Amino acid sequence: MSGNTETDLSKELFLLEPEALNACVSCGLCLPYCPTYRVTGDERMSPRGRIALMRSAGTNEFHPTDEWIHSMDTCVQCRGCETACPSAVPFGELMSDTKKALASVRKLPLAVRIGLSILNKPLLLAGATFLIGTLQKLGFMRNSPYIPSGVPLLRRKFKTTYSSVEPVLFTGCVMEAWTPWVHDAALKTLDFFGVNVAISGKRVGCCGALHEHSGLRSVSVKMAENVIDGIPTTGPVLVNSAGCGAMLKEYGKLLGTEEAKRFSERVFDVHEWIAENYQLPKRTEKKERVVIQDPCHLRHVQNSHQYVREVLSPLVEIIELPDEGLCCGAGGAFSVSQKELSTEIRKLKSIALTEVTTEGEKYRVVSANPGCVTHLQAAGFEIKHPLEVVAEYLNQISESDEMDRF
Amino acid sequence: MRKRQRKVKDPLLISLIEALSEDRVTDGASARRIYSKDGSVMEGGRAGIICFPEDTSEVAKCVSIANEHDREFVTRGAGTGLAGGSVPCNDPIMIVTTRMNKIIDVDLEKRIAWVQPGVVNLDLSNSLKGTGLHFAPDPSSQQACTIGGNVANNSGGPHCLAYGVTNSHVAALEVVLPDASIVQMGSTEGEACGYDLRGVFVGGEGTLGVATQIAVRLTEDPPEIATLLLDFSKITDAAETVSQIIANGVLPAALELMDRNVVAAVEPFAKAGYPLDAEAVLIAEVDGLPDGVAQEVDIISEIAMNNGAREVRIALDQEERERIWKGRKSAFGAIAKIKPDYYLHDTVIPRGRLAEVVEKVYEIAERYDLLVMNVFHAGDGNLHPLLVFDARIPGTLEKVRQAGEEIVRISLEAGGVLSGEHGIGLEKQRFMSQQFSERDLEAQDALRRSFDPDNRSNPHKVLPSGASCGELNSLNEIPEGIWV
Repeated sequence: MSGNTETDLSKELFLLEPEALNACVSCGLCLPYCPTYRVTGDERMSPRGRIALMRSAGTNEFHPTDEWIHSMDTCVQCRGCETACPSAVPFGELMSDTKKALASVRKLPLAVRIGLSILNKPLLLAGATFLIGTLQKLGFMRNSPYIPSGVPLLRRKFKTTYSSVEPVLFTGCVMEAWTPWVHDAALKTLDFFGVNVAISGKRVGCCGALHEHSGLRSVSVKMAENVIDGIPTTGPVLVNSAGCGAMLKEYGKLLGTEEAKRFSERVFDVHEWIAENYQLPKRTEKKERVVIQDPCHLRHVQNSHQYVREVLSPLVEIIELPDEGLCCGAGGAFSVSQKELSTEIRKLKSIALTEVTTEGEKYRVVSANPGCVTHLQAAGFEIKHPLEVVAEYLNQISESDEMDRF
Repeated sequence: MRKRQRKVKDPLLISLIEALSEDRVTDGASARRIYSKDGSVMEGGRAGIICFPEDTSEVAKCVSIANEHDREFVTRGAGTGLAGGSVPCNDPIMIVTTRMNKIIDVDLEKRIAWVQPGVVNLDLSNSLKGTGLHFAPDPSSQQACTIGGNVANNSGGPHCLAYGVTNSHVAALEVVLPDASIVQMGSTEGEACGYDLRGVFVGGEGTLGVATQIAVRLTEDPPEIATLLLDFSKITDAAETVSQIIANGVLPAALELMDRNVVAAVEPFAKAGYPLDAEAVLIAEVDGLPDGVAQEVDIISEIAMNNGAREVRIALDQEERERIWKGRKSAFGAIAKIKPDYYLHDTVIPRGRLAEVVEKVYEIAERYDLLVMNVFHAGDGNLHPLLVFDARIPGTLEKVRQAGEEIVRISLEAGGVLSGEHGIGLEKQRFMSQQFSERDLEAQDALRRSFDPDNRSNPHKVLPSGASCGELNSLNEIPEGIWV
């Protein structure tokens, strides 16, 4: 890295919140909850180590070498360390700001840049979707770690007219294009409770989470403003992707405006909203055993993971993983930019999964985030969004009509 | 870890890379910075080359190379130590054990597990769930600290009151001595013959060699547990309760005291329902057969009420119990909620003098205009007064240092010792001559030299060595007005 770049980076990093950095007393209680530390044993890839390196930016001992940058690039931003931290260090914010500083002095890898630029351009996304869908029909890209299988060629048409008070289902970018069946499942579930929802659709598009995590602050801010403008209702905004939900809930912090704060307050993970208002009828026949894999941004950021259990518990026998919500290694663009680490982390999840199930047992996993679903699917697990399991069940009961619905 | 091709010129680095692999040896500036600190506020030198061996033979190679190149070496686990035990002096080779994290063998019948030193304490107990056994030493950092580190510091933990500290739970060790030879100490088959070298090694703080495999004893899970939360409006009443409980013949599994400041710091995180208006909260845990447990709960409750306890709460289920312990165990980590820095002592005093010494600790803090937070293993008289401060305020560090010295002095005067469980490390070296005579220290040094004649293995620690390399983090590298 050239001298000038070093000064620029140092200047940018000086803007890190001093009180946030100060909040870390270096106790190390975060270490085992950091997926990259877990697989490497190397503190350069731990929250405590990364904070020590961020702090060094203010000293004459600042060496923004490839090694320094690699420590930051390898953070999954799962924020498991925040849950573990007794002093509530806002690590996510520190890392986001560090990534922003880095993005201002260097270019992101080409694959990441291309991916990110497609997400917020509906036409390009539609084109890419058509191409991927076609290739998959021809037998290619069916087991990609980044793209789910069965991508439809054309974008599904959802109702997008809003009435001001009824809930809006936020449908996002790739999720709507590539796995519209998850939204179908959410609609089916909400419909079962008699809830009429509108769809954010393509006029709102991407939430900007992946851009924010990559340090592209000006882009993510613009996308946040776009989402807020695009959903001018007053009712709840429901999200069925944990990553997007976490982002929408943090718009208030990101933009700092009253409007954004009010918007964030009416954002709910779809399970959270359902659990607080409704309950599914109890399944009477033998319940299927289902493993719950908590998306990090549902558990560590939104702290809403318990609602998935509340929604599912009448239908299935829930199996808990013993890893206290350790990341699965998907991490949005992380699985593309840090493929090796991402795979190593996933191996820990596989071990946890085999520990809670009996050998030879056929079981399904549920995870409320499309990134985790695709990442674990690529490792051969049968994994669904929780609402897909709910929708299946609702289909069954509407077919047999054996249950008294209310 | 990432593989990066580059030209390496340093012959020491070349030898270590040849012995391990390129991705497990580094002299990068970031690594050297990070591996120069542990969980304490101590600063020493700077980590030289950092190595991540994966088995005994690789550790032996690192040690052997250190000898060939006449270099010092320091062993480090998760770096959660609180006395600077793994903080390097000068620029030693760092032998980091975190990749030696395999549970090698578990013998449920003999109740022995052979583990590598980098196994995380809590991971071992978690892996034993369902067997009815666990590893008893439970330092507050047990979710992160390694068993190798527990062996080095002879670590304690709340439940060591009844179960004993790490030394009671290590049957045998495989050790790479400072001359790179590999030996076994102790035995998993009853008592080993000859001198108890295992007993010498446990608590050696890395100065006697590197433990590369550890045979730990596993303890049976108690059939019944009761956790009591006692709430006092005076800390001296709580301290008196502690003395009387044990004087009445009850030895709880754990007996822990937290003062109002600590409770205020941890409650928002742990959500244990600690009373925020209490001056002191005492956690008492008794275990054993159901009848005995019930009887002990009655005795403790009665003593507490007689000593002015406002309330006795008994945890109703495992979840409530876990929350109560989560709060206690995150006390040090939660300090930043109050102030950004802390300096922690670890003295042990006779239980009967708890009330008196604790009062003096508050007096000292008040005299220096410092905030002190008291959280301690009350049952065995192990104090952990935390002086919390903001080092950015000029003159604060000097006050903290002086107040700390007074706390140590009054503890020793009360008939206590320097360290209960955190070790001497860099931090308490300078107090050693207050506790030991010159001849005592010479005898200890002779023991050390018999293991490490060249003074190569974690040197400049434990025994006072003239000018100590470590100091309280004076944060002098940081420009004024910038974060610390």
